[in-house]
Amino acid sequence: MKNLEKLLSELQVQKLQTQTRRHFLMDCVSKVGGLALAPLLFGCEIGKNGQAKDGLNLSERDLNPLAPLPPPFAGKAKSIIYLHMAGAPSQLELFDFKPELAKLHDQDCPESLLEGRKFAFIRGVPKMLGPQAKFNQHGQSGAWVSDYLPHFSKVVDEVAFLKAMHTDQFNHGPAQLFMQTGSPRLGRPSLGSWVTYGLGTINQNLPGFVVLTSGGKTPDAGKSVWGSGFLPSVYQGVQCRSKGDPVLYLEDPSGMSRDLKKKVISAINQANQEDFESIGDPEILARINQFEMAYRMQIEVPEVMNINDEPDYIHQLYGTQPGEESFANNCLLARKLVEKGVRVVQLYDWGWDTHGTDKDGSIDMGLRNKCRKIDRPMSALLLDLKQRGLLEDTLVVWGGEFGRTPMQENREGKVQGFKGRDHHVDAFTMWVAGGGVKKGASYGITDDFGFSGIDERTSVHDLHATLLHLMGFDHEKFTYDFQGRPFRLTDVEGELIRKIIA
Amino acid sequence: MSKSKLSIWITLITGVVVLYFFWNREEKVDFSTEIKPILNKHCISCHGGVKKSGGFSVLFEDEAFAPTESGHPAIIPGDPGSSELIRRLTHSDPELRMPYKRTPLTEEEIELLKKWIKQGAQWGKHWAYEPLTKPELPSEIQTAGFSKDNSAAKKPIDYFVQTKLEEVGMHASPSENPLKLLRRVSMDLTGLPPSKELVSDFSAGKISYEELVDSLLADEAYGEKWASWWLDLARYADTKGYERDVSRTMWPYRDYVIRSFNDDKPFDQFTIEQLAGDLLPDPSQDQLTATAFHRNTMNNDEGGTEDEEFRVAAVLDRVNTTFEVWQSTTMACVQCHSHPYDPIRHEEYYQSLAFFNNSRDEDTHDEEPKLRFYPEEDQAKMNTILDWVAANGGDKSAKLRYDFLRFYEPKYAAHLATDFQNAELIDTKWLGLRSGGSAVYKNIDTQGSDQMLMSYRTGLDGTKVTIRRSNAEGEILASFVMNKTQGDIVREIAFKVLNESIDLYIEANNPKAQPQQNTSTIVWFAFVPTLGGKDKPGFAQVKEQWDDLLEFSGTRLPILIENPPFMARETHVFERGNWMILGEKVESTTPLELGTWNDKWPKNRLGMAYWLTSQDNPLTARTLVNRVWDQLFGRGIVSTIEDMGTQSDPPSHPELLDYLAWKTMNNYKWSVKSLIREIVLSDTYRQSSDITQEAFQKDPKNQWYARGPRFRLSAEQIRDQALAVSGLLSRKMYGKSVKPVQPEGIWMTVYNGESWTESEGEDKYRRSVYTFLKRTSPYPSFISFDAGSREVCLSRRIVTNTPLQALVTLNDPVYVEAAQVLGKKEWESSGEIPDKAIAEIYKTLTLQPISPSKQQAMSDLFVQARKEFEASPEATMEFYPDADAELAAIAVVANAMMNLDEFLTKP
Repeated sequence: MKNLEKLLSELQVQKLQTQTRRHFLMDCVSKVGGLALAPLLFGCEIGKNGQAKDGLNLSERDLNPLAPLPPPFAGKAKSIIYLHMAGAPSQLELFDFKPELAKLHDQDCPESLLEGRKFAFIRGVPKMLGPQAKFNQHGQSGAWVSDYLPHFSKVVDEVAFLKAMHTDQFNHGPAQLFMQTGSPRLGRPSLGSWVTYGLGTINQNLPGFVVLTSGGKTPDAGKSVWGSGFLPSVYQGVQCRSKGDPVLYLEDPSGMSRDLKKKVISAINQANQEDFESIGDPEILARINQFEMAYRMQIEVPEVMNINDEPDYIHQLYGTQPGEESFANNCLLARKLVEKGVRVVQLYDWGWDTHGTDKDGSIDMGLRNKCRKIDRPMSALLLDLKQRGLLEDTLVVWGGEFGRTPMQENREGKVQGFKGRDHHVDAFTMWVAGGGVKKGASYGITDDFGFSGIDERTSVHDLHATLLHLMGFDHEKFTYDFQGRPFRLTDVEGELIRKIIA
Repeated sequence: MSKSKLSIWITLITGVVVLYFFWNREEKVDFSTEIKPILNKHCISCHGGVKKSGGFSVLFEDEAFAPTESGHPAIIPGDPGSSELIRRLTHSDPELRMPYKRTPLTEEEIELLKKWIKQGAQWGKHWAYEPLTKPELPSEIQTAGFSKDNSAAKKPIDYFVQTKLEEVGMHASPSENPLKLLRRVSMDLTGLPPSKELVSDFSAGKISYEELVDSLLADEAYGEKWASWWLDLARYADTKGYERDVSRTMWPYRDYVIRSFNDDKPFDQFTIEQLAGDLLPDPSQDQLTATAFHRNTMNNDEGGTEDEEFRVAAVLDRVNTTFEVWQSTTMACVQCHSHPYDPIRHEEYYQSLAFFNNSRDEDTHDEEPKLRFYPEEDQAKMNTILDWVAANGGDKSAKLRYDFLRFYEPKYAAHLATDFQNAELIDTKWLGLRSGGSAVYKNIDTQGSDQMLMSYRTGLDGTKVTIRRSNAEGEILASFVMNKTQGDIVREIAFKVLNESIDLYIEANNPKAQPQQNTSTIVWFAFVPTLGGKDKPGFAQVKEQWDDLLEFSGTRLPILIENPPFMARETHVFERGNWMILGEKVESTTPLELGTWNDKWPKNRLGMAYWLTSQDNPLTARTLVNRVWDQLFGRGIVSTIEDMGTQSDPPSHPELLDYLAWKTMNNYKWSVKSLIREIVLSDTYRQSSDITQEAFQKDPKNQWYARGPRFRLSAEQIRDQALAVSGLLSRKMYGKSVKPVQPEGIWMTVYNGESWTESEGEDKYRRSVYTFLKRTSPYPSFISFDAGSREVCLSRRIVTNTPLQALVTLNDPVYVEAAQVLGKKEWESSGEIPDKAIAEIYKTLTLQPISPSKQQAMSDLFVQARKEFEASPEATMEFYPDADAELAAIAVVANAMMNLDEFLTKP
């Protein structure tokens, strides 16, 4: 206690405060604990830029690395929901209508399309494969959407299509990494980590970056697609699960009541506070904060992850069935999480790799079935966000890691038993909606076979630059120093796609 | 004016006068510490590496003084007035004034540049590239460092730290409480809390602090603790990574690392073995095992991926990792262009790459070459065979046979096939020939062998395979029939003896095969001659032993093996870093700026390892010291652990860094234990870690070391400590990785099919370094505490503080069980007296007596918990089967105390 006395006497001499700085900070912490709202923190004189004005010179982020920060400029979007169809859906059956391709069906692929190109599985000269879906124009925007997505065709006026996306990776793992981290190799932070690092999160009782998976598998590239790379690990995505604990170790040990847990935490924090007073290490304050947050997370996460109590009309809208691990449930959860102030929600739905090697992987049957599982919920998500006034500041992104070839895949030189398409990097479709996106827009044009973009081509870096822009960042200035140089999500590339910004 | 104010004025005025004199003495401007930082901060992002705006670059000396686009050099040595550099820095037109559209340089900076130019604009090296020189120490300190009993005198580390502290106007803290210090040094050296015996011997004064340190360094737990650090750098994991991320056998390498630390293998030897153990004369099993360091690179099994692309990815990773681990240098940038900041040129990257581009591994599915760990009876067979071959074919044949038995090289992987006709690489991995199908292997050297070994599997009987010279019409070299196999087999095939490299045409025919059916799956082939001495007595027995060994299916570890000359690979520059666009051919050599090359060294990985560990290499020893210091103090002397280049933070204590680096190399002969010992014996390390507000404000990050190190324990330490204090920890060492308790449904990798099967018995409670690490899904509680996924080299774990960590230590069954066992132990030994048990638990955890207020808080918790459990026997039963309310309550208290900041933190 000697140090404390010394400290106290120093503080008295300085007459900075009638309260000691430590107790003062303790107040802040308990207020963060109580409400976790920025204005209260500012009330504690911890500046907006995260720097305390005096005293221990602790920033809000020293106590809580996820404390919310304002973006560098006012972004339209406050949160982001990213729907990643892992395996890569076929643009040619969903959005990119190519009547000319139908005419070439079952004919040998023109040499000009194959020259100097590599495919993951296609060898030699494959056959062309005409569109397997029926297309119609929808909404005021007249967007082409196939009959695989009847619900979605009713909300097309909310979204902006990117129809000439391209990537440079034709294997799932590297392509997913590229799409999510801006690099096909490991070690870079994911988009969600960058955003969470830059903005923190609004609700301290929930993780700032939540990942939900469906389709029975995690994405091919593993957890690195929501990893934090060289950013501190606190910014990585937290996988919330629909079976078992929604967040790992969230549940109290069996037999321990909530009330008892509260007492446990209070005893821990009491002892920790005593240590802070004698040792003076501000890390202990952060630890106290951490335990309070953990306790509240234990209450709030199960609440938000529980969809049982949603009204019937919501279940009908999304097509949700409580207790399942499904894309529908995850869409509803995404809305709930964003509504509660989660910064980034990412949904990975596995099972879109339609090579035609079996029925589930066929373009005419498997893909149609996959679409049935996402069509209603993803449309419902847009409608639900809109009716709650959340779509304005929630950015919704949909897409795979690459597209599919206009050719029938012919793995190992054999004809496949089902209709299928190989991986394709030159052209695919994604869509974005909400948070500052121009409604009903379509950007990018592909050639007559949907093989290559011929105008308004969009790279993965362009997409990232635009998403960051909508969240309030200049992608060229949003950097993190590592290994002696500043890194960015977009590396040294990326152009804003101004035509889809409202 | 009061007396004290007057004295302040006098001091101030004197100070200004003194400063003025110093300023005017025209000291020589030091390029490395004064000029280079200015250039790097303000100029290099546009004038260096990739961008050379206006044709001006300040990256290399020759560029800086070369004519710019204007036709004249921007720097005229001796003449600041005519130097465009200075003119532009001070230009009144904002369009011309540099840095363009950014804050101008300060007057001091511009003055310094002028002075430097006036003095002749001498270029120099960045401090980190300057060779190490013998450090200068005041004589009384120089001797003290080497004497054990002269502990009252200042030790060199403390001399450097205190000199700096005086400069910044701070004071060292008093010594740490001895038992806190005991816990600190024990966690640091062994990763475990000290044993009961050590605690009692040390607190009774039976052993000195020095003796304590020596006994901790001698504990085998030391190797396990420090291995975790090295394994992060080595990106060691138990799976291949990428999409399918299936298991691989790497644990013998982990064991090698642990043994090496425990044996205090000199760091130069440790380096040489890992980078080039295979190139040492007659490498031992251990030296070959060490080379698995660079087989920790990932291996891609995803269907449709080209092995060559991922072989190249692995080689690039080896270059980048080697430079990061030994040189604190980021090479990744140089892959695409000359380094924007560090003086390493684009070609130099590929010259370094050439060292690593000549190993046998090719991202094949089986990850060959692999070192075989034969059990004793197999080793006896091997000796018999080798003796036979030596007697019948000479020593050279015996050596080739020995190599082949150890790691099955040289051999050709099936994926090298080209010119497919009715054939394909199955899943882009193995050769599949349909009936009537064929493929070609180009430029194959059979080394005059009369026999081919082929590894394959097939589900069909009666496939006739024919191997011809060049094409379908070529001479038949071998012909055989393949029948159904049980998995992969190695088959001996008589082969025509050839004395030249040729193309092999391979075809298969089987009338029973379906049109689209593969007749077989071919994995690899090799040319190993028949045993010889066929007509001699004993041949049949030797042949039988040879056949037995070919069926070996025990432990096999991926290792590095250099290509024989007939398989050597050329290295070319990749244009813009793209492996498919090859530029000019390069020969292996090391970057010029980082140390000289000795022509006595072989131009291969071994030579490179000699270069790294040579006395002239400025970075290896500095890097080692910086990383070890970081492990102990939570911060490097250069805080950017991964980078000591020109963009790194400057060292807080440059002389200290160089002193320790020099001493480690010269006096300690690269002994890591001696380095650690010197650091933990310093007063700097032994200071109290309590923080005063004043000290915190002056130095929040503790970079001047006015207090002892205090930071949260690592993921491994936290788990190991919990198991240790409860007595659950198994001290079993080495062997296959184990799978302790983990929640269900964590492993969901695509196309994988493996699952987490919980280990049994004591294997559940092994030290964390033995926990199975799956790259795409690492052990969840480790991830929460900032451990990495080991996909790439990790120099520094950034310590974070999140609620998810609290959830682990509060709720993870591993920690709950530890609390129950600890609670029970202390409950029983305290005679079931709650307050006594609480005090004992606290003491076990922290080695400290519990304070009255903490005792009160925990005692209250105990009473409340007991009340709850008494009211609900079901809850008691659920929380702690077979316990009564009191025991359950004490377990709750133990759980709480195991979550205290002081328990989770190094004191």
